[in-house]
Amino acid sequence: MNTVRVPSPLRDYTAGVGKINAKGTTVSEILTDIERKHQGMRFRMIDEQDRIRPHIRIFINQREVQSLGEAVAPRDEIHLICALSGG
Amino acid sequence: MTLSAAERERYSRHLLLPEIGAAGQERLKAARVLVVGAGGLGSPASLYLAAAGVGTLGIVDHDRVDLSNLQRQLLFDTTSVGAGKAVSAQARLQALNNEINVVAHAVELRAANALELLGGYDCIVDGSDRLDTRYLVNDACVLLGRPLVSAAIHRFEGQAMTYLPGQGPCYRCLFPESAAGVAPNCAEAGVLGVLPGMMGALQATEAIKLLLNIGAPLVGRLMTYDALAMEWHEFRFRRREDCAVCGVAPTITTLADSAASCAADVPARWPRVNAGELRQLLGAAGSGPQAAPTIVDVREVHEFQAGHLDGSVNIPLGDLSRRVGELPTQAPVVFVCRSGRRSQTACELSARAGVQRVADLEGGLLAWAATVDSSIKVA
Ligand SMILES: [Zn+2]
Repeated sequence: MNTVRVPSPLRDYTAGVGKINAKGTTVSEILTDIERKHQGMRFRMIDEQDRIRPHIRIFINQREVQSLGEAVAPRDEIHLICALSGG
Repeated sequence: MTLSAAERERYSRHLLLPEIGAAGQERLKAARVLVVGAGGLGSPASLYLAAAGVGTLGIVDHDRVDLSNLQRQLLFDTTSVGAGKAVSAQARLQALNNEINVVAHAVELRAANALELLGGYDCIVDGSDRLDTRYLVNDACVLLGRPLVSAAIHRFEGQAMTYLPGQGPCYRCLFPESAAGVAPNCAEAGVLGVLPGMMGALQATEAIKLLLNIGAPLVGRLMTYDALAMEWHEFRFRRREDCAVCGVAPTITTLADSAASCAADVPARWPRVNAGELRQLLGAAGSGPQAAPTIVDVREVHEFQAGHLDGSVNIPLGDLSRRVGELPTQAPVVFVCRSGRRSQTACELSARAGVQRVADLEGGLLAWAATVDSSIKVA
């Protein structure tokens, strides 16, 4: 089970919670598990061509994810980052 | 630029720091910094930069002070409500430090004036409240070769990064494309008043470090702050070879206003109904052959829950592409949101997906509350 940090704009899908659990050995599997628990959330981050949307970044610990196939180790923390616009 | 006796006393706590000293303070005095947006971020950033003795401090904002700004925008007080922000900020900052020169730019930052405006300064602090302005400022800084300290906020969360020309990635390297309408601004989402205090103070710190050439700048690092968890996180990101503005073959070589940035002053691209017309459309339902329109509220779930039009269905804008199949393709659909911006994006998205009769509520539910039914709670 991995910890996933949810950015404020996506917390409508997690009842306001900023830290959720998801399991998987790749980023793709983690996202599938997230979608199973929080329906609609994956689409806010990933487009129909399985690309990370341009206003969303995904990090494994501090490292930026380039493709959804990247491996996730058991204790890795996944950070979902969304461009914010407020000032 | 030597310091007067009064300046030596004013900045004495800086002069005591070996990293600053008289030479550093003189550098600050000679420096020119532009703060874009006199809002939640621009308030603390500009107050600290003025107090620190940045010799020329520009403030660009074309807005007026609203009572709801005072919860977080410390540049202003109750007597400022209704006044122009740039001029009001100038008076406050000049009162804080009469040794510096504060310049008010009461204009909207646009493609046509950005290079000239930003080009007059050594360092840019971006505290704007719109994504399209963030991209405009970023692109202008890349084209001009100016350092940029960028920050943004939402509810309880903040993020910040610094761009140094030739030394690291730009904002567009991090987020290649704007998602206007997808990321709600403070007016639409709410924000903890003290949150921009943290992030704006961080921006002032970064700007001062850049001007003094001390410490390690936030280059290639995204800082995020979660006020609820009280956690800071740092993420590393690299320059993109294919970045549209700072990459090896840039496609952005001049500035252009994005379509959304002109939303307020160009005709809407999709048919609009005003609040009175929408009431008539709804009232006529059932009494004639005219089918009542499907009202689709594209705000976020929590906004919808706070108050909405009777009979409207909630499909947040971010879900619309996926759920567009739920809409009738022939019968009329009217999109509504808070202010009428997200609903225009909804028209665009659904029309592209084959929904034929789309329109939206001009001025959004704020207009509905103002002219038809003030009992509706618009979050
Ligand atoms: Zn770039």
